[in-house]
Amino acid sequence: MDYVAHLTLNAGTFIILAVSLHLINGACGQFSLGHAGFWAVGAYAGAAFSVYAPLPVPDFVNLFISCGIGFVAAAIAGIIIGVPCLRLRGDYLAIATLGFGEIIRILIINMDSIGGPRGFTNIPNWSNLFWVYLWVVITIVVVTNILKSSTGRAIISIREDEIAAESMGINTFVYKTMAFVIGAGFAGVAGSLFGHAQQFLHPNNFTFMWSVIILLMIILGGLGSTTGAIVGAVVLTALPEVLRFFGDTVSEWRMVIYSLILILLMLLRPEGIFGKKEFSLSWFRARKLTPSGDK
Amino acid sequence: MSEETILSTKNLTMRFGGLVAVDNFNLKLGPTDLVGVIGPNGAGKTTIFNMITGVYQPTEGDVNLDQKSIVGIRAAGITQKGIARTFQNIRLFKDLTVIDNIKIACHFRVQYGLFGAIFRTPKMKAEEKRIHKEAMELLKIFKLEHKFFHLAKNLPYGEQRRLEIARALATKPKVLLLDEPAAGMNPQETKDLTSLIRWIRDEFKIAILLIEHDMKLVMNVCERLYVLDYGVTIAEGLPSDIQDNPKVIEAYLGTDEELT
Ligand SMILES: Nc1ncnc2c1ncn2[C@@H]1O[C@H](COP(=O)(O)OP(=O)(O)OP(=O)(O)O)[C@@H](O)[C@H]1O
Ligand SMILES: [Mg+2]
Repeated sequence: MDYVAHLTLNAGTFIILAVSLHLINGACGQFSLGHAGFWAVGAYAGAAFSVYAPLPVPDFVNLFISCGIGFVAAAIAGIIIGVPCLRLRGDYLAIATLGFGEIIRILIINMDSIGGPRGFTNIPNWSNLFWVYLWVVITIVVVTNILKSSTGRAIISIREDEIAAESMGINTFVYKTMAFVIGAGFAGVAGSLFGHAQQFLHPNNFTFMWSVIILLMIILGGLGSTTGAIVGAVVLTALPEVLRFFGDTVSEWRMVIYSLILILLMLLRPEGIFGKKEFSLSWFRARKLTPSGDK
Repeated sequence: MSEETILSTKNLTMRFGGLVAVDNFNLKLGPTDLVGVIGPNGAGKTTIFNMITGVYQPTEGDVNLDQKSIVGIRAAGITQKGIARTFQNIRLFKDLTVIDNIKIACHFRVQYGLFGAIFRTPKMKAEEKRIHKEAMELLKIFKLEHKFFHLAKNLPYGEQRRLEIARALATKPKVLLLDEPAAGMNPQETKDLTSLIRWIRDEFKIAILLIEHDMKLVMNVCERLYVLDYGVTIAEGLPSDIQDNPKVIEAYLGTDEELT
């Protein structure tokens, strides 16, 4: 696959990851650092199906099933980690989910049938731009529709004020778990798509650093905005490639440059690029109606 | 006081370590009663609300709604059973719009779930329309309809207090608990609130339990009062009787509260 196509495909994977984390962290306000863990669960579960038990059906159907398996496996992991941990708040939840991500990685390293420390090879090359972006669209539509519904308002109310939400008759535990599990599930889909594009998975692909980078994506875009999550994912996928133009030294300082960007962002625009706003066609309409732009 | 009771507590007690914040509190509230709880700072008033609404688990005692115990039910469940509240320090969803604040309180009665949301079913659209209409009607009552799309945090203080009451009513409660609704209001706003509270009781035909520091409001609006001091109920009865009760006067002496 050529360079640009490869990059575009990666961007798609990260859009799914960022939008799904946005549901957990941006919308529901639950500080999760375990997203790379769910990504890994989906990647390995999806790949295990394709390697060991593919059905005699066209490849794209198998890919679809594999994504479904990735979703379910990651969602189950989401329930297992979410039910005990979502009672924790803020920093504690972050630490617990971080620990979970690392445990997943260690479990994988110790599972020989999926490659263990050597990595999981021979995954069929079924993923392509079309299927990845189909899932990008599905993820965005599902998350957006949820957030625009009464269920979404319940989820968002937890971010705004958990005690008030509970007092308004919203079982906050149920809705936190719902956001967490759906978010985890889509991270699993991203994992399956990723595996079938790379054809190779290694536990080191899924270190805690990636959870941080996905988190950076949604913070950069604006915590609380789906549009922001998408833009953040694209920017942070493209950035390392842009840095590469400036030579190896600059490239090696990638994480330092990320940190600097984040510090600058916090100083200049703490709400992120989009804040909590969403892209909508009415932006253009409003501008037409009021040419002075003061609306 | 009517004969039936909608909400009652029996020997309700809350201990925080060695501190007895509320000591054997016994409440009886009729279905359309308007009753006040007063007492100096730290008397245990808010703690009573927190125990009734399931925020705190009482150390001892019982809370009954419609003669059934509600102790141990989580806060959301108690709200769904018909007890709504406001908070002493306003707890609106500040960064959300006025109307979304109301709609969130309607959520548990909404007739569609995740499936309807994801696929935007006709049922979902019909329900959204219904909630919107309901919410706007409620906002009209509270004279906030023209601000339905403002962020809650941008409302003036008095309107935030009103919105919080409107939001509590959106859960369609049988009992409304108001924790110092007049705190921070100017005299005119307090006067308007007094008539609003009475009007809510008559219009919605619900019971209201009111915590208040503003004595004028309490004396004007409440039909019966409980007076708390250091968690102990030191007096109970008609406002006119309470006013002359020596124990009550003593409890308020040395504080800058004034019984008028
Ligand atoms: N979660 C808690 N942990 C420990 N002590 C508490 C807690 N909540 C309340 N208290 C204590 O219980 C006592 C009663 O508090 P409460 O908030 O009920 O008083 P209040 O009558 O509402 O006072 P105010 O008029 O100031 O609102 C106080 O001494 C308070 O410090
Ligand atoms: Mg109080």
